[in-house]
Amino acid sequence: MLHRGRYRIRFAQGRHHHLLGAYGNGGNSTQQDALNKTLIPAFEKANPGITVKYVDVAYDSLLQKLTTSAAGGKLPDLVRADLGWVPQFADLGVLEPLSTSMSDYKALAAKDYPGSVATNRYKGEYYGLPLDTNTRVLITSQQALDKAGVSEPPKTFADLKTMATALKGTGVSLWADSKLEAWNIAPWIWSGGGEFTNKAETKATGYLNSAANAATIQMLVDWYKEGLIPNLLTGNSGAVATQDGLPKNDYATIFDGPWMAGVWSGSYKDFHPIYAPIPAGKGGSVSVVGGEDIVMTASSAHKAAAAKFIRFTQSKQFQIEMAKTGQLTVQPRLADQQAEMAADYSVYSDQLKTAKSRIASPNQSKIDAVLAAALTPAFTGGTTVKAALNSAASQIDALLSGD
Amino acid sequence: MTSIPTRGTTTGRATGSVARPARSPRRGRLRVGAVPYLFLAPGVILFAVFIVWPAVQALRMSFYDWKIVAGAISRWVGLDNYVRAVQDPHFWLSLTNSGIYMLATVAPQMALGLAIALLLKRKSPVQPLFRVLFYLPVVTSWVVVSLLFKYLFADSGLVNFTLHDFLHLMNSDVSWLAQRGTALVVICLLGIWKGIGWSMMIYLAALQGVPQALEEAAIMDGAGRWQRFRAVTLPAVNPATVFLSVMLVIGGLNVFASVVLVTNGGPIGQTDVVLTYMYKQAFTYLDFGYGSAIAMLLAVLVFVLAVLQLRIARGRADEALA
Repeated sequence: MLHRGRYRIRFAQGRHHHLLGAYGNGGNSTQQDALNKTLIPAFEKANPGITVKYVDVAYDSLLQKLTTSAAGGKLPDLVRADLGWVPQFADLGVLEPLSTSMSDYKALAAKDYPGSVATNRYKGEYYGLPLDTNTRVLITSQQALDKAGVSEPPKTFADLKTMATALKGTGVSLWADSKLEAWNIAPWIWSGGGEFTNKAETKATGYLNSAANAATIQMLVDWYKEGLIPNLLTGNSGAVATQDGLPKNDYATIFDGPWMAGVWSGSYKDFHPIYAPIPAGKGGSVSVVGGEDIVMTASSAHKAAAAKFIRFTQSKQFQIEMAKTGQLTVQPRLADQQAEMAADYSVYSDQLKTAKSRIASPNQSKIDAVLAAALTPAFTGGTTVKAALNSAASQIDALLSGD
Repeated sequence: MTSIPTRGTTTGRATGSVARPARSPRRGRLRVGAVPYLFLAPGVILFAVFIVWPAVQALRMSFYDWKIVAGAISRWVGLDNYVRAVQDPHFWLSLTNSGIYMLATVAPQMALGLAIALLLKRKSPVQPLFRVLFYLPVVTSWVVVSLLFKYLFADSGLVNFTLHDFLHLMNSDVSWLAQRGTALVVICLLGIWKGIGWSMMIYLAALQGVPQALEEAAIMDGAGRWQRFRAVTLPAVNPATVFLSVMLVIGGLNVFASVVLVTNGGPIGQTDVVLTYMYKQAFTYLDFGYGSAIAMLLAVLVFVLAVLQLRIARGRADEALA
């Protein structure tokens, strides 16, 4: 959009859904202030002739707004997209493949966590660069550790089993989570030594239904049946939420992201969470990458200017300023500086070194629905773990082949 | 001083210096005939633009593998989306849930609405207060009452506390929202509670029209309260009953907000209703062709049911007259 002889980049943003869910509303004024008052003015000063108009859209509305904008052919130049949407919109043909159009893409991507960069991949091309990142780590409390009679957070699956035995009959659940989607079970699958698909992400059968995954899921099912995992996992929307259950000592451990500190600082001021890496299984300690990517729309009339802003998002200035607002940096070289702001960030930074991205597919939402629908009966007693994994794998095969 | 013939008087006499030719009867009729349409035009145009055109567009989309992006070519798939719906077990599950909601909520809303209207018909100093209290849920936001019910029926909510901890009617807490059956009960209870006030208001208005003479005649004939209710009151409020049943059936099949807010279709889609399933297909999976086909199937079902209800009601009225 030409604006008084200067380029105006329209820039839409959606906050991460976990942040939104944690705060219960769409507002995060610190991020908006950082962008509007510090970063965008700095970029505009360094790039005379370019004006960035930043439009903040609540996460819940952004997908609908982008869909409507795509239908009307009125997309902004840049989008701060939930990483799950990148393959979906790339498949619709509305995103610019940056790995082709930006000559320095490889050099820029090389500075970021590989797992975060991978979230931009779709059919051999990369459609964006990581903007901010997050991952899930184990969070527990001293109360819970005392109840289980252990001195430190569980480091391995074996430690978790020991904790499970100690917590049996105490009324405290070993671990809690709210769904059986990829975001929830990926840390278990990968840490247990399993995979969702082959490397090319074209086939789930033979991978998702492997013996390693069956053993990992069976371990969770056994805990569920022993009452050590609440039915929040299988879709009980009336169960105690993880953000409440951990401080109230209903749950001994949860897996969650860096936004939880903000949630608890508001609602549970006296609660002191303990952060630790995901317990390691046969595959090590592997978590799942979350966060947002910055993507350029194919319809942008100002691609060169938009590319400049994308490069700016990869600068130390941008990354550190956003880290101050609770958005983890995507660059390992800045992890130490970030840890100086909040010591707990170092657990997340270390976890990100091995964290992996979920299946890059426009059908990611459907894959999540398949996983939840297939695995839930294994927990509630409707089927066996092996049958559930076989069913999920064959359905995901169909979705991957339909990409 | 001049006087001008009154509008519409074709034989108006010119009493001043300005003489106007008499208007022909045909031209006058045309002008009068166009006026009502001009008044209707804004409403019709708005209806056509915001209701008819989107509906026609949705019908068109249902025959395509619709690509949402502007300028993208959508592939014609004929009836494939409809065949897919018929063969989709989750569509049938969502339709069954919508049907259960409709069946479970329409009759109680009408029966309780009528009962409360009968109680509030009598003059009493507290009658206006009770009318407001019963109507309050109707004007309260769906979001507010849905979240309220979600918290009431949560595992550690007030319902479990009352039934288990306080009254000791249950051995343990019930996870109301963890199973399809109990979750649907919660959603239906919410629908009934929120809808009673509206039925009450319609029946209150209808009860004002019950002929007093008939009531008195029935009393003179020795009819008891129940007999008077059956023979006088019920037939007199029959038009309201027909109106309510048609509107509530349509509303029941279109249930959406409460399901999204209480269970969001969970656990694992077991409480999905047709509109939540349609919404997921269109706006989560961007499968607008399939979503439109589901919407069309629901529209046809609602239309057929409404026509059937009106025909049955008209048939009964004819029988009564005969």
